[in-house]
Amino acid sequence: MTVPKEMPEKWARAGAPPSWSRKKPSWGTEEERRARANDREYNEKFQYASNCIKTSKYNILTFLPVNLFEQFQEVANTYFLFLLILQLIPQVSSLSWFTTIVPLVLVLAITAVKDATDDYFRHKSDNQVNNRQSQVLIRGSLQQEPWMNVCVGDIIKLENNQFVAADLLLLSSSEPHGLCYIETAELDGETNMKVRQAIPVTSELGDISRLAKFDGEVVCEPPNNKLDRFSGTLYWKESKIPLSNQNMLLRGCVLRNTEWCFGLVVFAGPDTKLMQNSGRTKFKRTSIDRLMNTLVLWIFGFLVCMGVILAIGNAIWEHEVGTRFQAYLPWDEAVDSAFFSGFLSFWSYIIILNTVVPISLYVSVEVIRLGHSYFINWDKKMFCAKKRTPAEARTTTLSEELGQVEYVFSDKTGTLTQNIMVFSKCSVSGRSYGDVFDVLGHKAELGERPEPVDFSFNPLADKKFVFWDPSLLEAVKTGDPHAHEFFRLLSLCHTVMSEEKNEGELYYKAQSPDEGALVTAARNFGFVFRSRTPKTITVHEMGTAVTYQLLAILDFNNIRKRMSVIVRNPEGRIRLYCKGADTILLDRLHPSPQELLSTTTDHLNEYAGEGLRTLVLAYKDLDEEYYGGWAQRRLQASLAQDSREDRLASVYEEVESDMVLLGATAIEDKLQQGVPETIALLTLANIKIWVLTGDKQETAVNIGYSCKMLTDDMTEVFIVTGHTVLEVREELRKAREKMLDSPHAVGNGFTCPEKRPSAKLPSVLEAVAGEYALVISGHSLAHALEADMELEFLETACACRAVICCRVTPLQKAQVVELVKKHKKAVTLAIGDGANDVSMIKTAHIGVGISGQEGIQAVLASDYAFSQFKFLQRLLLVHGRWSYLRMCKFLCYFFYKNFAFTMVHFWFGFFCGFSAQTVYDQYFITLYNIVYTSLPVLAMGVFDQGIYTSVLTFFIPYGVFAEATRDDGSQLADYQSFAVTVATSLVIVVSVQIGLDTGYWTAINHFFIWGSLAVYFAILFAMHSNGLFDMFPNQFRFVGNAQNTLAQPTVWLTIALTTAVCVMPVVAFRFLKLSLKPGLSDTVRYSQLVRKKQKAQHRCLRRVGRTSSRRSGYAFSHQEGFGELIMSGKNMRLSSLALAGFTTRSSSSWLESLRRKKSDSAGSPSAGPDKPLKG
Amino acid sequence: MTAKMKRTSEESQSRLPDNSALKQQQLPAYRLQLTATGVLSGFFATGVFCLGVGIILILSAKSIKEIEIKYTKICGNCAKLREDATNFDKECTCSIPFYLSETMQGNVYMYYKLYGFYQNLYRYILSRSNSQLLGTDLKDVGTCAPFSKSHDGTPIAPCGAIANSIFNDTIILSYNLNSSISIEVPMLRSGITWWTDKYVKFQNPRSKNLSIAFAGTTKPPSWVKSVYELDKEDPENNGFLNDDFIVWMRAAAFPTFKKLYRRLNRIQYFTEGLPAGNYSFNITYNFPVTRFRGEKSVVLSTLTWSGGSNLFLGLAYTVTGAVTWLASFSMMAIHLMLKDRKMFFIQQ
Repeated sequence: MTVPKEMPEKWARAGAPPSWSRKKPSWGTEEERRARANDREYNEKFQYASNCIKTSKYNILTFLPVNLFEQFQEVANTYFLFLLILQLIPQVSSLSWFTTIVPLVLVLAITAVKDATDDYFRHKSDNQVNNRQSQVLIRGSLQQEPWMNVCVGDIIKLENNQFVAADLLLLSSSEPHGLCYIETAELDGETNMKVRQAIPVTSELGDISRLAKFDGEVVCEPPNNKLDRFSGTLYWKESKIPLSNQNMLLRGCVLRNTEWCFGLVVFAGPDTKLMQNSGRTKFKRTSIDRLMNTLVLWIFGFLVCMGVILAIGNAIWEHEVGTRFQAYLPWDEAVDSAFFSGFLSFWSYIIILNTVVPISLYVSVEVIRLGHSYFINWDKKMFCAKKRTPAEARTTTLSEELGQVEYVFSDKTGTLTQNIMVFSKCSVSGRSYGDVFDVLGHKAELGERPEPVDFSFNPLADKKFVFWDPSLLEAVKTGDPHAHEFFRLLSLCHTVMSEEKNEGELYYKAQSPDEGALVTAARNFGFVFRSRTPKTITVHEMGTAVTYQLLAILDFNNIRKRMSVIVRNPEGRIRLYCKGADTILLDRLHPSPQELLSTTTDHLNEYAGEGLRTLVLAYKDLDEEYYGGWAQRRLQASLAQDSREDRLASVYEEVESDMVLLGATAIEDKLQQGVPETIALLTLANIKIWVLTGDKQETAVNIGYSCKMLTDDMTEVFIVTGHTVLEVREELRKAREKMLDSPHAVGNGFTCPEKRPSAKLPSVLEAVAGEYALVISGHSLAHALEADMELEFLETACACRAVICCRVTPLQKAQVVELVKKHKKAVTLAIGDGANDVSMIKTAHIGVGISGQEGIQAVLASDYAFSQFKFLQRLLLVHGRWSYLRMCKFLCYFFYKNFAFTMVHFWFGFFCGFSAQTVYDQYFITLYNIVYTSLPVLAMGVFDQGIYTSVLTFFIPYGVFAEATRDDGSQLADYQSFAVTVATSLVIVVSVQIGLDTGYWTAINHFFIWGSLAVYFAILFAMHSNGLFDMFPNQFRFVGNAQNTLAQPTVWLTIALTTAVCVMPVVAFRFLKLSLKPGLSDTVRYSQLVRKKQKAQHRCLRRVGRTSSRRSGYAFSHQEGFGELIMSGKNMRLSSLALAGFTTRSSSSWLESLRRKKSDSAGSPSAGPDKPLKG
Repeated sequence: MTAKMKRTSEESQSRLPDNSALKQQQLPAYRLQLTATGVLSGFFATGVFCLGVGIILILSAKSIKEIEIKYTKICGNCAKLREDATNFDKECTCSIPFYLSETMQGNVYMYYKLYGFYQNLYRYILSRSNSQLLGTDLKDVGTCAPFSKSHDGTPIAPCGAIANSIFNDTIILSYNLNSSISIEVPMLRSGITWWTDKYVKFQNPRSKNLSIAFAGTTKPPSWVKSVYELDKEDPENNGFLNDDFIVWMRAAAFPTFKKLYRRLNRIQYFTEGLPAGNYSFNITYNFPVTRFRGEKSVVLSTLTWSGGSNLFLGLAYTVTGAVTWLASFSMMAIHLMLKDRKMFFIQQ
């Protein structure tokens, strides 16, 4: 069963976890999971899966039977087996059995070897993963154990930057209160760091001796694939503690900013959520495969027709002539009537004529694909110098499908973006900094930049930070108060934690890379955020330490889109610093300096046009009295029992008004190299690109703009964020109506889509002329993907030029791909880098993994792997196109040559009493395809051409041989000479045809074409040699034939005539076609020639103009709650806690409030652990 | 440390794909282009060639003298006699007089020609044993069904359907010097087979006395004589090495075929060939053809450089040449007509 089929069922049941169950072959259905810490005997009785993962298919013993079984599921293989069996029946056999068994065994062997190698590499990678070391607590001491030996119930220790080995219940960590930071990018693609907390009772278990005594028992749900939910209970010391996802570390996550932590293994190996989320490997077929199968079926039908004609002919002949001829050749004992003889000859002819679809077709197609995959591996233009990784075709069977891709589904983080945020520009009190000017004062382009700004004056500067505009530093150095205030704000208004291991070596633990970038920028410009306590922030301002008193953090959330801090400086002045999305903040500014506002707005527009993420900075002075009153109101609001959130929000709203504009920042979410260009090219090639990301909507949209998927030229960008079925349906309907109502729309009479059958929709919607884009969020997608709405969604989405799905789970990614695959009948390609993309990569026709990153799951699941998104362009447009063209030409040629080859038998049937006599020596039949399939050649040709050739290659020699004698007077028209003549002329005709069809004659083409002719004659003479005859007189009966026949001028004249008559019409036809109806590529080629002569003028790439829509926002991958965390001092080290006044609220209530907030906000799949996805 | 660094950098360097033209798919290539000049001149050249060859072939075919006499009906009584297989031991001869109006210059070849005899049937062609005919293993009759063994189980030599159905008429050509005296035209029975057949494919068992060598085998059911009695005078022409036998064993491709029977021995009156005059074929009629509604004839023919009469090839070449010329003229016309339009199109 494949993933997508399972999915709707899973989603439908998502609301009720206990009913979700998983088949366990050895054990039946797992109802619930029980795991006791440090008690392997107890846990063993449940026979839980070990932490050993297995993606391989075979082992040494099962390989042969399983592989053969799989191979014979191929229609072609079974067909050839059937033929082989037919050939073993003596009455029917018209060709010896080796003509089939040799190629069949060859095919089976090659495939088996390939499968074995593939599986070997899977074994290897499994082994590598399974043998990663982890520290397991066994009998009171930590021992290094490979991952595969980790069992459910074990306690393991993780260190910073280590991958989590299994799904763990977090017990304790190096950080205070059992907090621990993880990065889940591998798992769900979200790039911000997440915080997990151990339950309070276990968070003190920091040392090994206490952990070794820990014997709590976890009872929880059975393994499932929901990444964002977990429900279970810990029973320990007669207490019962509820567990949630907040306490879990899932396999695939990476521990960050946490020195160490301990966890209890709950799910291991295949039961982990990561593995549960990865779809099963599915054999991928290309459309050429399918085409080939249909063709083969048609040809088989044709073959049966010919067989029937010949069988009827045989019956009539046997009745009319054969009966009288019995004195010379009595019927076979088994044959008692002409009718039965006809029946047998039907099967005989099936055997003879099967060379139309020889098994070698499949071999050669595979060989060609293998060759193409090597070309991909060898391509220097797809080699990433930085990561030193060449492109890798991991699947060899899909190369020509690359040329047919219509939809590209891309992950965002790590694929389109580098996940690096760079402080690139800023606007300080009406002046923009960050543009680089060259000597002449023009804005400099990339690559011609001067030296970066020198921050050596600042011993605390981050060496990795780079800024190009020296004027900003000058402004700071000259003491520009605005610039100082600007960076002061950046160094104060954030939730970053600092760590100073040695004097001057600062490490920032930023919750989102955006914030990190801003604080680092302030640090380098001389406003170094040094340390913080719950009540203070220490900043080194231009070398002097200043400690601000932190009065309040007005934390970020999705609605506010801003955050503020209220601080008291050493002089006692209270000031509110605020940064946030421009749309929100500009309304809350003091209106007085209009000019500043408008220039800053201009700057914001400029930054947004460059795809930068902008934030507006502002401050406000508060007097003591006002602050006192406000603090009171805030306290009241926070103590309120009902609608606490709303009341707090309005209190915040009150203070964040009439602020003074300071400036704006622009952060570049660094795209991978060449992404916008690649996307533009792919779009030009009519390939639709959908971005599927687990990240937030704003981030995704922003990236959409910066990689030019979304532009301001677009007629409209539809955003679907409905939470209920009805909302989503309504939003989709509106989008469609807008598209149709727009002046560009073609179908104007179209009113309400719902009144019409949905099958009619595509025709109308595809005619929509305007450029639209669709942005849909994960929870809306869950509804949109339901059976009754998926078509509506698909039609809307496909009418749009760009589609962005944000907040999607790995399985949703796969669902979207499956949807397009199923209904659009288009070839899809999925590209991604993380484990969260695995299911999508496996579902799509072609999966591409970005290699060279930390995780390798995506690469392991992929068909192609390379390290840069931009290589997609070359993969699709160069390799894909080439292999598709080559494959098409090859297939045409192949069918041509086999029709020409086989139909000769058909014509001969009329002259040999339909007795299934072959025209050629059976060695020639066996070798014909083997010798010629080594030519991965270009060819054009159609079946009727093949039949035409066969008519000529048969009847011209027939006409000649009917009368002619040899030049020594003896008979020329003996069967064997005729066979040699027909075979030779066929080989020559076919070679000339290849020569004509070869687009480009390279040395290899010469080698193969001349080589195959040479090999033909060599084999001919060898087969007809005395030596072989002396050894096997009954097998090699053509002795002496080649030299005797080919010495005759008549024979050569016949061959020459046949060749001429076969080839001339083809040449004439092509020539006329070229003159009468030149194809697109012919025209291009011709005009290229003309251009070359005219000294082609250079075409300049159109510069993408600056656009004006504003896409500002607070550090988008930010999660709320950290402000509270900081103010409560939870995440402070004990040492620093001692200094600060400690909060009174208990940690569990803090967690409660955090969770409640999360479930209230957005309601995204990962945010609402207890909330069913469907209302 | 540095050594290690170096090694890793070398390792990573080695992952860089080779910059060979083959691997980068940048082999120097010649592009086959169908230019007007190339195609048209090719067509004209082919046309000239075909016409030339065709005319030469037709002329040489015309120079051939050939005479064919069907004798199934002429020897009707013999044909009737042979329809009944039980009459196999009754001899039947038949004489066919004919007049040769022109001298047949040079070498003259005598053929027998069969109509409607299927030597190309699948089972017929297979029904022979090359290893037996090679003389190495007389008892190897495995592939000879349905004529591998006699009723009592003795292996047949030569076994198989082909050997069994050998053409066994005797044809003697007599030349009437005048109305009373006729002489037998001297004919050679040698040199009518391929060298490889006579010296490689067919061998008698190694023995001084052929009849002893063939002991333990029996003659094919339709044969009157045993294989070692085919030519008692000439041991080189006896047994499996008999030329007539070898010629017959080379199965024909089509149901109508002629096989070489004798060559004129150019001595006495016949040094120049067959002079014009009265002749007669004296045929011992043994081979039944009316059973399968076949016919047989005897053919006398001369040869040219390319072999026997080959009007078809000559005609085919001539027609091809003519059609090619026609085609090239029309193609040239179309091309010239379109040239202006194409130039216009490209200039746009």
